[in-house]
Amino acid sequence: MKEANKLTVNKIIDGNRLTLSLDGHLNAASAIELDALLSESLDGVTDLVFDFSELKYISSAGMRVLLSTQKKMNSRGSMKITGASNSIIEIFDITGFTDIFTIESRR
Amino acid sequence: MNNENEKKKFRLIPQVMLLFAISVLVTGVITFFVQSSISNTAIRHQTESRASEIAEETATAIREYPAYDRLLSYWYTHANDLAIEYDAEYGAETETEAKCRTLTEHCPGVQLKYMTKQQLDAMDPEDQKLYAEVAYSWLITRLNQIKRAYHIDFLFCVAADEAYGTQFFLLSAADPGATRGTSYEEVYPLGHTVTVGADQQEAMRSAKANASHLANAGDYVDYYTFLGEAEGRPVFIGMTFNLSGLRSSSASQARRETLYAMLFQIFLSLICLILIYRFVLQPLKKVQKNIRLYKETKDSRTITESLKEIKTRNESGDLSKDVSALAAEMDDFIGRIETITAEKERVSTELSMATRIQAAMLPHVFPPFPERGEFDIYANMDPAKEVGGDFYDFFLIDDDHLGVVMADVSGKGVPAALFMMASKIILQSCAMLGGSPAEILTKTNEAICSNNQEEMFVTVWMGILEISSGRLTAANAGHEYPALQKSPDGPLELVKDKHGLVIGAMPAIKYREYELQMLPGTKLFLYTDGVPEATDDDGNMFGAERMLAALNEEPHAEPVRVLQNVRRAVDGFVKDAEQFDDLTMLCLEYKGNQTENAS
Repeated sequence: MKEANKLTVNKIIDGNRLTLSLDGHLNAASAIELDALLSESLDGVTDLVFDFSELKYISSAGMRVLLSTQKKMNSRGSMKITGASNSIIEIFDITGFTDIFTIESRR
Repeated sequence: MNNENEKKKFRLIPQVMLLFAISVLVTGVITFFVQSSISNTAIRHQTESRASEIAEETATAIREYPAYDRLLSYWYTHANDLAIEYDAEYGAETETEAKCRTLTEHCPGVQLKYMTKQQLDAMDPEDQKLYAEVAYSWLITRLNQIKRAYHIDFLFCVAADEAYGTQFFLLSAADPGATRGTSYEEVYPLGHTVTVGADQQEAMRSAKANASHLANAGDYVDYYTFLGEAEGRPVFIGMTFNLSGLRSSSASQARRETLYAMLFQIFLSLICLILIYRFVLQPLKKVQKNIRLYKETKDSRTITESLKEIKTRNESGDLSKDVSALAAEMDDFIGRIETITAEKERVSTELSMATRIQAAMLPHVFPPFPERGEFDIYANMDPAKEVGGDFYDFFLIDDDHLGVVMADVSGKGVPAALFMMASKIILQSCAMLGGSPAEILTKTNEAICSNNQEEMFVTVWMGILEISSGRLTAANAGHEYPALQKSPDGPLELVKDKHGLVIGAMPAIKYREYELQMLPGTKLFLYTDGVPEATDDDGNMFGAERMLAALNEEPHAEPVRVLQNVRRAVDGFVKDAEQFDDLTMLCLEYKGNQTENAS
């Protein structure tokens, strides 16, 4: 549970486009880290992409970070979630976030 | 412990003393050997130079006779024919003097001592023999004087054979009163031949080549100088010294020097020990004492004062300063720890109070409506931390309508709990104002969104049961699917209902509602994601499948029993893993109209 639930974030900046690839579990603890990372990385970014191909789990705290990021990006550009697995998409469905986030499914 | 330390009070001193003792011994041994070797060399040089001086004088005495080589040959060849007067004094009435007078008569005008070879050869054989006897006697007397003057043990002149194996004694000096003879301790007469050892042979060979050499034999040392030849045989002047006296005096001098060196070193060692004691050991003991004192009292000021007395300007002084600083830091640290601990205790007290307040906010008396036989309800909330973000609620809106709520605030702990409290109150207030579940959730969302800087949100499932008919109107704001028993004999199944967005995410959301029919004897199960997402040590989740299986273990049991079954299944799955999300469940059993059923 300790090691398995770690989150690693790979950050790629390409002009105004920032791609964050998340690997692991986005839970209460890692959500705080992601929030901190986002608050220092979003300057000048107009095109934000979350790559969820390797994301295993997302908690409500994680979704809170996505929600607040979505609200920030609404005023300056776009935010997109790609590669999310079915179980993650199901969570988005259940919580109704599918309507708010731009989600590109795996296929 | 203390006793042991007292015993080992000054372990350093004996250790250093042992080192010093060893070094004193080493110094002694080295000094002794160096001194001995120096004095031995000195004695050798001294002996050699003295011997060469004596040899020079002896050779001069012999070479004063112009015909000395003729004489040597004559003595060698006629050794047994000569009537020699040994060890006579000059000027006395001696045979030699008589022989001199005879010779002077036979050879008028010839100065006997300085007779040349030619003059000697011109003499008749009788006179030659006489002259050989006279010159021999004179030379022996002269050699005796030299021996006496220089305190040599033996002074002699010998002819060696070709192999240097024997010595033929030509001249041998004697002390007054000594007897001439061939026995031990007698002075050898002319013509005595002795066999010599390898050392002596080597010494003579070397003397022939280099003019001089020493040969050792115990305390005696032989010295040889080449003089000339007699009948083709090498003739040497030899002398023997007894070195034992010189040696013993030099040995005692070496011992004395060694003793002085050792005493000096002992003196230095003592000074060293005193300095170590004064500048290292004493300050160190004091530092140690203060460290122990600090261990007991935890009072850095006292020991800092005490340590200030250590004024040595070396590492022990530095150490005492460091210890003072460390103690001060420790005090500071302890102080901070105490503050933190007190703070922690305060927070913990507050949190446990918060836990109780939160628990009290949720309906927690079961059965909640004992007078209502149409339904039974049971619920519990088990926060992962002291306070949680989950909540359940149920309340009678009017006599025929029961409101049921299951909600889960994003995140955990105090922030979630605060948001949960607000959400619960707002939601219940909205519900009490009347309206359908969708209207209630829409209103609640508006209220929460208006003051939600932190982007918190809450997932809510809300249903209103018409008690008389069993009609359940529900709306879902991003919450987990409820589980419902469609018929009294069927299993509990998930109802994939229509979902709206979580509450608090966006304003102006319209929620949709749907209807379910609850038959008498069926159950509704509500939960938060803490149940299916309960995780074991390997990161595996409990999952909806296992949850449904646990629910259907005893689908006809009382709601409290059903929740216990689920809880037991979750606990059995996660085992010792830490609970990391709030775990909340509610089970509503619809029994229908009891009076109708009874009639």
